[in-house]
Amino acid sequence: MRATGLRPGAPNDAIAGVVPRQVFTPSSVEEAARFLGEATRAGRAVAFVGGGTELGLGAPPRDLDTVLRTAGLDRILEHSPADQIVVVEAGLPLAALSRALAAHGQRLALDPPLPERATAGGVLAANTFGPLRTRYGGPRDLVIGVTMVRADGTVAKGGGKVVKNVAGFDLPRMLVGSLGTLGLVARVAFRLHPIPEVVETLRVGGLSGEQVLALVRALRERQLEPSSVTALSSGSGWELAVVFEGFSAGVAQQRDRLVEISRGAGTPFDLLPAGDASAFRVRHDRIRTGPPVRLKVSAPPASFAGGAREAVSRLTAALGGADVVWYPTLGLAFAAGEVAEPARLRPAIDEARADLSRIGGSAVVVSVPDALRPGLDPWGEAKAFGLMQALKQRLDPGARLAPGRFVGGL
Amino acid sequence: MDPSPGVDKDLAARFAAIVGERHCLSGLAQRMTYESDGLMSLRELPDLVVLPASTDEVVRVVRLAREAGMPVVGRGAGSGLSGGSLPVPGCVVVGMARMKRILEVDLENALVRVEPGVTNLEISRRLAPAGYYYAPDPSSQSVCTIGGNVSENSGGAHCLKYGFTAHHVLGVRLVRFDGSAVDVGGPALDAPGYDLLGLIVGSEGMLGIVTEVVLKVLRKPEATRTFFATFPSTDEAGAAVSAIIASGVVPAAIEMMDRLAIEAAKKATGVDWPDVGAALLMDVDGPVAEAEHTSRNAIGLATAAGALEVRVPHDEAERQLMWKGRKSAFAAVGRISPNYVVQDGVIPRSEIARVLREIDRLTREAGLRVANVFHAGDGNLHPLVLYDARIPGQEKRAEELSGEILRMCVRFGGSITGEHGVGAEKSAYMNDMFSPGDLETMDVVRSAFDPERRFNPGKVIPKPRMCGEASGRLSGDAREPAP
Repeated sequence: MRATGLRPGAPNDAIAGVVPRQVFTPSSVEEAARFLGEATRAGRAVAFVGGGTELGLGAPPRDLDTVLRTAGLDRILEHSPADQIVVVEAGLPLAALSRALAAHGQRLALDPPLPERATAGGVLAANTFGPLRTRYGGPRDLVIGVTMVRADGTVAKGGGKVVKNVAGFDLPRMLVGSLGTLGLVARVAFRLHPIPEVVETLRVGGLSGEQVLALVRALRERQLEPSSVTALSSGSGWELAVVFEGFSAGVAQQRDRLVEISRGAGTPFDLLPAGDASAFRVRHDRIRTGPPVRLKVSAPPASFAGGAREAVSRLTAALGGADVVWYPTLGLAFAAGEVAEPARLRPAIDEARADLSRIGGSAVVVSVPDALRPGLDPWGEAKAFGLMQALKQRLDPGARLAPGRFVGGL
Repeated sequence: MDPSPGVDKDLAARFAAIVGERHCLSGLAQRMTYESDGLMSLRELPDLVVLPASTDEVVRVVRLAREAGMPVVGRGAGSGLSGGSLPVPGCVVVGMARMKRILEVDLENALVRVEPGVTNLEISRRLAPAGYYYAPDPSSQSVCTIGGNVSENSGGAHCLKYGFTAHHVLGVRLVRFDGSAVDVGGPALDAPGYDLLGLIVGSEGMLGIVTEVVLKVLRKPEATRTFFATFPSTDEAGAAVSAIIASGVVPAAIEMMDRLAIEAAKKATGVDWPDVGAALLMDVDGPVAEAEHTSRNAIGLATAAGALEVRVPHDEAERQLMWKGRKSAFAAVGRISPNYVVQDGVIPRSEIARVLREIDRLTREAGLRVANVFHAGDGNLHPLVLYDARIPGQEKRAEELSGEILRMCVRFGGSITGEHGVGAEKSAYMNDMFSPGDLETMDVVRSAFDPERRFNPGKVIPKPRMCGEASGRLSGDAREPAP
C-alpha cells in the first residue's frame, strides 16, 4: 500500500537544503485541494514534489512548511488508444505510463532521464525533456489538458482531452516550467504517438562543433526527419547520434542517405547495434543527472558555432571533469561537472550569461550543491518579468506556493 | 436608429496625429467596413478605426485609448469566424493592415520575424525558393494574417502532423494595456520564467496587441503523397480514418466530406467527384520511401474499410485541384443554400460515425440540412448548417441546431472550438465546457495581463449573467476612463 497522509519532514525531504516541517501525501485531487486551501489560509508555505528528479532547479524556498508529494496520485484515469490520448494523475511515473501504453502500441513521446521516478506532473512543472524533443517537441507541445489546484484550493481545468482545442486560455502551457509556483498540477492529459515499427541509431565520433552543425544543416537540407539528434562531448570533440524512427522502408532510406551525406563530409556514420545505442543513452542520462553541478544553456541553434559555444566553454572551464549534452537542432545544451574551484563558478555563470544575453539566450542552474547556493541566482534575468510578477501575484496572492523558488524570487 | 456618432473631432484628431490622417477612419461609411469580421451575423459599429504602422504607433494609440477610456479591439484581416475581432461599443479598432513586413528571414536558425499584418501564405511564398515554408495552413491562408493566427491559435488541415500556431510561434512583442511593449520568448527556446507565450497564443486579442512575431519555419518535406477515396457513407469513411490512425501512420492531413459538402465543392470548383455518401482526402509526407510506404498502407486500409474508389493525382496540378475542392468547401456551400452557419467543434475521432449519425438525427428533427466538412484526423468537425433566411423561423432553428451540435461535442468529451476560437459567438457555450472555477481562473490570468480589461472586453469568458444566452452580448467594461 502507498503511504498517504501526513508525516513529519525529514532531511531527505529537503528542497534545495530547506527541510519542511511536514510532508503530506494526498490520495485524491479533492484531498489535495482541501489541504492546500486550508494550508494557505493558515499562512503555511507549501511546495510540491513528484519524483524529485528536478529538485535542483530553482532557489531554496524562502519559507517552507509542507511538502505535498503527489506519490498517491498515480492513476491512469483514461486511455483512449483510438484517439491517441491519455489522462493521468500527476504523480504517475513516466515508466509506469509507458508500460501501460506499450500494451496498445503507443507511447508518450517524452523521454527524459530517470523515467522510473519522473512523474507526469513533475515533467510538466519542470519542463523536463529528452532527445525526442527534436521531433515531437517538449512537454508544452504534448500536453493537451490539465487540472490544477490553485493556492486557495480552487480546482480549475484548462484545455481538454482532444488534441485540437482552442477554447479558453491555455492553462496547460502556462503551467509548463512553472515549478509549482502557480498551482499544483493535479491531472494531465497528453497527446500520444504510435510506437515506431523500426528505430535505428547512427553514430559518428571525433567531430568538431562546426562539423556537428554542418551535418545538422545537411540533414535538414536533404529533408531527413530524425526523431533525435544528440551530441555528447568526447575528449576535445563531439560524439553525435542520430535516431530515425518509422516504417522500415523509410528508416532504411533515411539511414542510407545520412551515410552518403556523412561520407561526403569525411565523417562517416556507423549504424549502432542496439546495445551500443543504449550505452550512448546511458551516457547521455548520466551527464544529465549525475554530476553535482549542471547548467542548461539555451540559444539560437546556429549560435553554437559562436556566442553560445563561448558560453558553454566558460562553464565547462569552471567545472572539473566537465561533460556536455548538446541538442544541436534545438539550440539547447546541458553542461555538467564537479565543483573544481567554488570561487570560479559564479563568475563563469555571470560571464556565460553576458555572452548569451547578447544573442537572446540564457543559462539556468539545473543542479548545484547547497553550499554554493547562497548568492547564486539560478535563473538569470527573465524577460517580461513584470508580467510574470503580475501572474504570480494574481494566482498566489499570499506567495505561499514554493515562495522564492522561481525567477526573480517569485 | 441613429448610427453611432463615433468619437468627437478633437479626439479623432489626436489619434490622427499618431497614425496619420489617412489611417484614422472616423467617418460612418469607413467605420461600417469594420462592423463585422468573418462572422457576419454579429455587427457593432466601432467609434474609430486606426491603422498604425509601427509598434511605437500602437503604443501611442493604446495610451490615448486608455486616457480616453476606450476599449481596444485588434484586427487582422477580419476573416475570423467567431466574432473575435467584432468591435465592442465605444471601441477603437486597431487594424494591422499596414504592418505587413517580413522583417527577417534566418534560415540558419529556421525562423522568420514578421509584422502581424503579413498574411499566412505570404511567408511560405517568400520562403519557397529556399525550400522552406510555414506549416500551419488555415483554409483562409491567402488572406488571414499572422497576428490573427496568433490570436486564435489557428490550425488548418495539416496540423495533424505539424501542430497549430502555438507550436510554431517562438516569440512575440506585445503592447500591454498601459502602453508598455514587452518581448516574450524569442529565437532561443525555454527562456527563464513562465511560459507567457503559451498564454498569449490563442488568447483572442484579450491580453494585448501583438506587434511582432518570431515564427519557426520548416524545410519542405521531400515527398507528399495524396489520395482521394470515396465511400458509400460516413460510417465507412470514419472506419477508414480509425484504421489508418491505428496502423501507426501519422498523416499530414486527413479530411472528410459528406454527400452535401461534396455536392457543393463540385458546383463551386468543377472537380469531377462522384455523388457519394462520403469522401476522404489524405496527405502523407516525409522522406519519399516513408511517404510511399504509408500512402500504400493507407490506401489498402481505406479499401478494406469499404472505399468505392481511390484516386491518386497524376501531378501536382491535379493534387492542387483536389485540395482546392476541399479548401473552398465553406464558400462552396453558398452554391447550394442561400444562408449557412459555419460551425467548429471537436470530438474524439473514434466517435466520428456516432456523432455524424446524431447530427443527422438532430438535423432531420429541425427540418434543416447540414453539410459536414472536417479535419477527420483530429476530430475537428465543421458542420455547415444550411438555411434560408427568407423563411420565417429558419435562421433561429439553424442557430439552435448549431448550438445543439456544440453541446453534443462537449458531451462526447470534445470541445466547442478546434480552431475558429470562442470570440463573441461562443462565450455562452463556455459554461457547457468549463466550470465556474475554470472560467474564473482564466479571468484571473487575463487580469494579470490586462487589469483594466482594455482589450477585446466581453469575448471568450462569459459573464455569469449571460449564461444561456444564445450569443455573447458585450459588456461595457473598460469604458470608464483610467484612473
